[in-house]
Amino acid sequence: MLERHLQHLRIELPPPGETADGARDRLGAKFPRGAARRMTHLGLMLGAALEGLAVREEDTIVYATTYAEARALEDYLGSFPAPSPMLFQTSIMPSAVQQALIARQQPVRRFLPLTGRQRLVEHAVLAALLDPADRVILLGGEERGTWMLAHGVASDRAFGWALGLERTARGAAGRLGFEPGATAAEEEPCPALPDFTDALAARRGLRWRGGGGTFMLEWS
Amino acid sequence: MSPAADALPVRIEACDCLTPLGDATATHAALLAGRRALTMLPVLGEPGGETAPLALCRPMTETVPPRWLPDLRRLAAGIPADDWGTARRPVIVTSSNFGVGSLHAFTRDHDERHLRHGPPFACVDLLRREFGWGEQVWLISHACVSAQLGLAQGARLLHAALAERVLVFTFDFLSPFVAGGFHSLKILNAGWPAPYAARESGSIGLGDGAAFAVLSRARGDFCLQAHAGCNEMHHFTGNRADGSGFAICAEAIAGAAGGRRVWIKGHGTGTLEAGRLEAEAFARALPGAPLVSWKGSLGHTLGSCGLVELAIALAAVRTGRVPGTVGSAPPCFADTVALDAFAAGGFDGVVLDSNAFGGAHAAMLLTHA
Repeated sequence: MLERHLQHLRIELPPPGETADGARDRLGAKFPRGAARRMTHLGLMLGAALEGLAVREEDTIVYATTYAEARALEDYLGSFPAPSPMLFQTSIMPSAVQQALIARQQPVRRFLPLTGRQRLVEHAVLAALLDPADRVILLGGEERGTWMLAHGVASDRAFGWALGLERTARGAAGRLGFEPGATAAEEEPCPALPDFTDALAARRGLRWRGGGGTFMLEWS
Repeated sequence: MSPAADALPVRIEACDCLTPLGDATATHAALLAGRRALTMLPVLGEPGGETAPLALCRPMTETVPPRWLPDLRRLAAGIPADDWGTARRPVIVTSSNFGVGSLHAFTRDHDERHLRHGPPFACVDLLRREFGWGEQVWLISHACVSAQLGLAQGARLLHAALAERVLVFTFDFLSPFVAGGFHSLKILNAGWPAPYAARESGSIGLGDGAAFAVLSRARGDFCLQAHAGCNEMHHFTGNRADGSGFAICAEAIAGAAGGRRVWIKGHGTGTLEAGRLEAEAFARALPGAPLVSWKGSLGHTLGSCGLVELAIALAAVRTGRVPGTVGSAPPCFADTVALDAFAAGGFDGVVLDSNAFGGAHAAMLLTHA
């Protein structure tokens, strides 16, 4: 059994329709002056979700996102035929996490940015459970697209969350686990990133077979 | 003192790459001959734009199906057959671009068919259908250290006994999206890249590239012994001026190399500050170890460079000749920079280094099994 305990859980679920400017008004005070001005909606949400977690260099960060820097991507594409250097930088995954950590000038040794859809959550959880660091910070998030959303290639929701996953159970809000043993034929659908987010927000348990075993999210 | 590298020894059962110069064998031979795959081409493709050094497998025109699909079919034909994409045989796809060029193509001609392979998952779903992979396909994207992270994660799955074999597959094909972006940053310009050369101004080239490696615990003549890395998180495109990010990674992988005599396949894109910091860090961490970069010929294959260049390094070790730093000339940032080809005999390991935006660094140690 591989397991880690949730010692930090913070979720940013912004009001529907919130823009990056709205997030800057709401969350900007959490960031050094000047940094928030250049941050994307996703960067602001992930940075806010990290609040209360004193990130250390020896922490590992695992990041899960399906659409990543959707708004920066839209704006960068809109800048052609004179592409914007700043939008190019911020459109590249994993810019949102880098924005949050560069604002703090916080280096980390291991950082694993994952994308995908069908089994993204499963892979992110497994990566967090396998990592040798004492503490793994698991981040997830999306920002809501505009024209890309209209074409089905961006998220229809904005959210960002941070889980501090440690080996100690004392005082934990819950745990993430993986029990090896399931066969390929027993694989079940893996929760999508928004569904996993909803489970975190509602403190609802999850259990599914995949990746050669059983994954579980349980609450204390 | 730098943290230790992660010792995760795994064998390489099979490995190959695809560049505009051909497969790993052909690319290695072309590098030995000093051939440059880069040519001066418009950064925006058909619409034009200023010219810069680009190395393309075929014209940089986004098509439906995408232009890179025939090349990936050709590369994938060399992957040993197996039940890929299952829990015991997962696939790890790494890229910094995936199909993002298709999104640019859509904004240009409004053909919705481009969007079918625009987002990373949709792009990889296309590969899954093409190659018959199951759902257990990991996607890793951390700019230009993506492939190194994929190899490390594959090793971790094998060491946890959660997988028997892992296929790491990587590809990055250029588009106006990425060429225009690097050009806007002014590091892709009209100059030819000259990695590690101490000259007035720096410049990089960009190249198409794809590669795969099959990793397992027991089979294969070569071994990836250890992985080291760090993420400076100091600046989006710059590094700490004291070179501490490079030093942490170089010292960690040098520790894993122990007393082995190694040569170094560096990142070496042709930018001045990063090239100097990398050359100096490795000259300190591994004194006397020859340092080469092949991006003066191939261009920077972005998120795929770690695995593309691993395949070429394996060809170099097998044939006994290591290509030098094509496109560079003295003076260089360190006297360890090898401009000319040299014999691989006498070395018992290779360090492969990659760097990325955000001050990300990754290095791995390759040895005989």
